[in-house]
Amino acid sequence: MAMAAKVLTIDRRPARSAGGINYRLLAGAMLTLSVIFVSIRLYQQFFAWTVGLDSTSPEFQTHWMRLLYGEFFVEGVAAAAIWGWLWKTRDLNLAALEPSEEIKRYLRLIGWLLMYVFAVYWTEFFAEQDATWHQTVVRDTEFTPSHIPLFFGAMPVFIIMGVSSYLYARTRIPQFARAHSVPFLIAVAGPFMMLPNVGFNEWGHTFWIMEEIFSAPLHAGFVVFAWAALCLGGILMQAIPRIIELAQGEAQRAVRPVTG
Amino acid sequence: MMQRKAASAEPAYGDVNPGSSDPQQLYRTIDWLLIPLLFMVVQAAFHIHAMLTVGDWDFWTDWKDRRWWLVVTPVSLITFPAAIQYVLWEKFRLPIGATVCVTALLLGQWVSRTLNFYGWAYFPLNFVWPATLIPGAILLDCVLILTRSYLLTGIFGGMLWGVIFYFANWPMLAAFHLPMNHNGVLLSLADLQGFEYIRTGTPEYIRIIERGTLRTFGKDVTPVSAFFSGFVCVLMYFVWHLMGRLLSTVRFIQKI
Repeated sequence: MAMAAKVLTIDRRPARSAGGINYRLLAGAMLTLSVIFVSIRLYQQFFAWTVGLDSTSPEFQTHWMRLLYGEFFVEGVAAAAIWGWLWKTRDLNLAALEPSEEIKRYLRLIGWLLMYVFAVYWTEFFAEQDATWHQTVVRDTEFTPSHIPLFFGAMPVFIIMGVSSYLYARTRIPQFARAHSVPFLIAVAGPFMMLPNVGFNEWGHTFWIMEEIFSAPLHAGFVVFAWAALCLGGILMQAIPRIIELAQGEAQRAVRPVTG
Repeated sequence: MMQRKAASAEPAYGDVNPGSSDPQQLYRTIDWLLIPLLFMVVQAAFHIHAMLTVGDWDFWTDWKDRRWWLVVTPVSLITFPAAIQYVLWEKFRLPIGATVCVTALLLGQWVSRTLNFYGWAYFPLNFVWPATLIPGAILLDCVLILTRSYLLTGIFGGMLWGVIFYFANWPMLAAFHLPMNHNGVLLSLADLQGFEYIRTGTPEYIRIIERGTLRTFGKDVTPVSAFFSGFVCVLMYFVWHLMGRLLSTVRFIQKI
C-alpha cells in the first residue's frame, strides 16, 4: 500500500508544502514588498513636488512626517515579530535533523536570501532617485521626500530581511549553527552598517553643504558597505557543497535495497 | 512489495517532487532560485557602487567629456566584473562574469533613469541616458575564455575595457557634441541641455569636465585619456580580482 509521503515541520505539524519551499509564500512576500514600494513611489509622484519642498510647512508634517513615523512603527513591529518568531520556533535538536529536512531548510534559506536581495534592489532604486531630488531641490533637513522611503523605508526593510536570513540559518541549519559564517556575517553586517553611515552622511551634508556632486568622497561609506554584498557568493560556496553531499546521500539511500 | 512499501514510507529527500530520488531536480530548483538571486544582488551592489563613484558623469550628458568621464567610469566599473569573473570562472567555469555585471547594472540604471530621472524629476531621457559598458564586458569575458588566464585577462582585457569605453558610447554621444550657436555663444548640444536643466552640478566651477594639463600629445584629447584609462584598468582588475578572492571566503569562526 502506498503511503502518502508526509513531511513534518519542526513543530511536528504537516508542512503546507512538501516541496521544501513555499513558493506561494515567497511570491506573496515579494509581491507585498513590491506593492508597498510601488505605492510609495506613486505617493512621491503626487505629493513630493506639491507639499514636499518645505519641511517647515504644516502640509509637509501631515504628508511626509506621518509617513516617516508610520514607517518606524511598521518596521519596529515587523522586526520584533519576524525575529521573535524565528527565535521562538528555533530547532532545539539539530543533531536529530533528517537529511531530507536539512535540504529543505537550505532551500528555505535561499528563499530568505532572495527576499533580502529583493529588498536591497529597492534600496538601489530609491538611492539613485535621491540624486534627482537633491540635485534639483537641495535639502533643508534630513527628512526629504526621497530620504524618507530610502533611509527609513527600504534600508530598514533589507536590514530586517538580512538579519532574518542569518537568524534562520543559525537556528535551523547545523552547518551555520555550529559556527559563525564569515561571509554571512559580512553580507549582513556590511549593508546593515549603511544605516549608521546615514547619520555620518547627514552630518557631512550639514557641515559641508555639498549637494552638487553625487560621486563625492562623503558617500564612500555607502560604496564600501555595498561591496559586502559580494560575500553572498561565499555563503553559496559554503552551502552548495553541503547540499550536494546531502542530495547524493539521499539518492543513494532511496535506491538502497531494504533488507529484512 | 516490502521494498516498495519501505521506499514510499519515507520521503526520498522528497523536496520538489515527493517520491523522486533524482538529485538533478533539486539542482534545477536551486538554479531557478539562485539565478535571480545572484542577478539581483550583483545589480543592487554594483549599481550602488556605480552611482556613488561615477554617478554624476553617468547621469548627465553634459558631464560626458573626454577627460574625466572616460577615465573615471571604466576604472571604477571594472571592479565588480573582475571580482565576479573570479567567482564565476573559478567556481563554476562560467565565462560570463563581466557581461552579467554590466547587464545587471544597465538594467538597474535604465529603470531608475526612466522612472525617477524622467518620470519623477522630468529630465529628458536623452539627457540622462546611462553609458554602455557591454562591448568592454564582452571583450573582457572573451579574453578570459580564450586565454584561460587571469594574468592575460587583466593585462589585455583590462586594457581593452578602458580603451573601448569612449568609442563604444560614441554612437550615442556624438550628436550631443555637435556645435551650436546659441545667442552668439558657441557651445555643444550637451552644454545647452545642461544650462536648460539647471541642477546643482551645472555651474561651470562645479562640473568636473575637461580639466587638467597634458591633455594631448599634439592634437586629440580622447586617445590620451583612453589609454590612460586602459592602464589604470589593468591595475584595478588585479586589485579587484583579489577582492573577489577575499570576499568569497568560506571561513567559519566560533566567536564574534
